[in-house]
Amino acid sequence: MSYKITEEGNVSTVFLNGEIDMEIREKAEQVIMPLVEAKKEVHLNLKDVEYMDSSGISLLIEAHQKAGEVGTKVVLKEISKSVLKVIMMAKLEQILNLD
Amino acid sequence: MSLNKYKEFEVNSSSLKEIRSFSREILSQIPEAKNHDENIILAISEAAQNIVKHAYNGRDTSDLMRIEFVYENNILTVNLLDKGDPAIPANIKPRKLDDIKPGGLGTFFIGEIMDEITFKISKQDWVNHLTMTKKI
Repeated sequence: MSYKITEEGNVSTVFLNGEIDMEIREKAEQVIMPLVEAKKEVHLNLKDVEYMDSSGISLLIEAHQKAGEVGTKVVLKEISKSVLKVIMMAKLEQILNLD
Repeated sequence: MSLNKYKEFEVNSSSLKEIRSFSREILSQIPEAKNHDENIILAISEAAQNIVKHAYNGRDTSDLMRIEFVYENNILTVNLLDKGDPAIPANIKPRKLDDIKPGGLGTFFIGEIMDEITFKISKQDWVNHLTMTKKI
């Protein structure tokens, strides 16, 4: 997985790509969680994420919940078809912020 | 058509990508799997991840896990075998649908994707033996 972060005001957009599984989860967590903890509004661009398993979905849930605790939000943007399928399988499309 | 193939992988999270790649290669040989392949690959990868996480509790090991594919009469059977700690079947449960928390999702996905899942513990070569089947 590689990533890029852009900043605009209080919004940090993280562009993730590749496959997000158990091996990659920690790296993704180290990128996303500090932004959430810094109370940034975090936009995760998932256009180029080809595969995401339960480890990646768990990270999305954790980031979403942490954001709620600190008074900000995580928004999922341009979700790839394969990731959307997994989010829907987990029945999280009404829980997470999908744009 | 029928097919019977297996491969062994090191028990660690770095093997997951290789397992998906092997699974993709096998499923590409089964024309009937075309519309199900990515879901089945997710189920296999989740089951392999459970071996790393739970049967070995994330510890380093030189053990291998085996993944076997059997396809016959439109039934795909995937066996995952490992030599880790014997699983406690009562602990293998998916999260509840309304329980929005990380964890238990992998088992939930497996249950959603595959038709039947059985689990056996043996004292012979392999300890944990997970069998997942799907009619395709």
